[in-house]
Amino acid sequence: MRAARTAYPLKWRIMDALEGVAAAIWPARFRRATPYLMLLPAVLLVGLLVLGLIQIADASLRTLDTTTFQFSDDYSIANFRRALTEPLFLVVAQRSLIAALIVTAVTLVFAFPYAYLMVRTRSPRLRKFLLIALFLPFFIGQVVRAYGWLIILGNQGMVNEALGVVGIAPMRLIYNYPAVLFGLVQYMLPFAVLMLAPALTAIPEELEAAAGSLGANWVRTFIHVVLPLARPGFIGAGVVVLTLSLTDFAVPAILGGGSQDFIANAIYDQFFRTSDQGLGATLALMLVALGSILVGLVFALFGAGTLAMGRSRA
Amino acid sequence: MKRFKPTLSHLSRRTFLQVTAALGGASALGLRGAYAQEPEKPAEIIVRAWGGSWVDSLKAGVSDSFTKMTGIAVRHDLTEDNEIQPKVWAAVAQNRVPPIHINWDTTTNATKSALRGVTEDLSDLPNLANVTDLAKPAGLEGFPIVNTYGYVYVLAYRPEAFPDGPPKSWKDLLDPKFKGRLAFYNDGIGFHFPAQVAGGGKLEDIPGNMQPAWDFITKMKAQQPLLGEDPDFTTWFQNGEIDAACTISTNAREARKNGVKIEWVVPEEGAKFDTDGLWIPKGLPENELYWAKQYINHALTKEAQQVWLDGLGLPGVVPGLTPPKDLVGDPSYPTTEADFKRLIRVSSKIQVENESEWFSKFKAIMQG
Repeated sequence: MRAARTAYPLKWRIMDALEGVAAAIWPARFRRATPYLMLLPAVLLVGLLVLGLIQIADASLRTLDTTTFQFSDDYSIANFRRALTEPLFLVVAQRSLIAALIVTAVTLVFAFPYAYLMVRTRSPRLRKFLLIALFLPFFIGQVVRAYGWLIILGNQGMVNEALGVVGIAPMRLIYNYPAVLFGLVQYMLPFAVLMLAPALTAIPEELEAAAGSLGANWVRTFIHVVLPLARPGFIGAGVVVLTLSLTDFAVPAILGGGSQDFIANAIYDQFFRTSDQGLGATLALMLVALGSILVGLVFALFGAGTLAMGRSRA
Repeated sequence: MKRFKPTLSHLSRRTFLQVTAALGGASALGLRGAYAQEPEKPAEIIVRAWGGSWVDSLKAGVSDSFTKMTGIAVRHDLTEDNEIQPKVWAAVAQNRVPPIHINWDTTTNATKSALRGVTEDLSDLPNLANVTDLAKPAGLEGFPIVNTYGYVYVLAYRPEAFPDGPPKSWKDLLDPKFKGRLAFYNDGIGFHFPAQVAGGGKLEDIPGNMQPAWDFITKMKAQQPLLGEDPDFTTWFQNGEIDAACTISTNAREARKNGVKIEWVVPEEGAKFDTDGLWIPKGLPENELYWAKQYINHALTKEAQQVWLDGLGLPGVVPGLTPPKDLVGDPSYPTTEADFKRLIRVSSKIQVENESEWFSKFKAIMQG
């Protein structure tokens, strides 16, 4: 009697064959190493980054000969000396660092209520609205958004036109440091909200209710319950906003009017304007070092945030 | 029977000249079939260009007529000149085919590529016989670049902002009423040399002593100028963000074409005169190199230059061009020796060797 076709369907046979192939490639005795295999793509990616960094480090030790526009065969620390002594680079580094700190602080302050409302609201409509408003900016690139601010805040922009209606002469609202900070905060806000929201979701509402029932007003509840429990979110969001602001290129370039360069703009200038890739590589390495030190400091002072590294197992 | 297929490796200079001369003649007569013996035609030639009115003019003057003549499409790559440079350098260093066939570049930038040895020699272009001295890159052997026109970094201004008449000097921009209403290139290009004069220095002292220039630029910094690139100037004038700028006359003329009331002058201290050119990166297949050379050769014909440079409003390198009507007698369109005397020209070699330092110095002042 012929076996029913459904007894052992074709797709099962295909699966068996695939399992056989998989077992041949990755025998069962290697099973314990499987989790490490999963790490391979990440290791490869990081490896590529490291390779790039090694190349950048190599370039940073070579100086440009402006009679041939070739780089020296010998290594020297001349580029590092220039980067650390020329006033331009110090000014730009200082400006970037201060901006990153200000933008991080302001963004976290603005992001928290937004994230809190989004997580805690009882209205699905409001939550959806806040989510859409959060994700919309991601569909619009950073450059387009910065140009949008030029249109809104420019001399003939909407804001100045509105001011003109009440008799106030047009004023320069863009092409200065505050405009750059403003643009960065607006750009970073969605990132910070996205990082804060999971941390706030993880705080049981009952804890806030318990604090209230024990007599704490909302300020005390916020300070003693919500804020400490939201710390991983603050740290994660802070690290992301800090590093993105520190390394930003487009907002200072567009809203700064050319006179508010950040380190990334200075790196661009060296690579593409003066053709001095050695000095550009030096500045790039120093930016990586500065960012790493800052992140290391944050982790050392406040822990690893949402990464929750070092937390003991329950 | 072996069919003869000429390639540049077989092509002597003499043969090349004969072929290109025949090509030139044929093109003049409109004989499209005359290319039968030419190297294989690529589907397209990629020419790096600046955007806006710059590429429109190139297309109208050179690219379209080249395509009509040869049947080869011309694609304009609008990657910034500064950004294409490292890509081309890397391609040549790694023996890869470069990403473009022809680079439309500033002579200063192109000189860097020539000094690095990544440019093809263009000395055998037949139409070089008909060009002025301006076409020859100063301080370089042969023709690694062919300069195709000159331009002036004028003082462009909105007449309403100067009710007492046009500015006569760069020093006029130091008037407090222009605070925040001025613009310069973000690396100071075009302004270093007039600033040297306006600051009380001498042009002969460039590059040895440019302190007067830095002093003058420091004074200008107090005016909180905007710093940008070519497209920014047109936009800023159009949006009423600025009253005056040191910019290439083409940008000012473009703003005027767009309905902005704008004029320009060469101030008493002078204005920087410079050139742009075309060059071909090394590493192209031989047939593509041949047609890329044909493109540049075509760009040096009087017909192509007339249309191209009418669009840009700039003086070319072929004698007998007619200035656009709106630029007859204009200081930004120098044609006579007297015109050139008012302009400042510093050799590309000096500029290339010192540019990095000048840019850094300008930036240090403006970013401070």
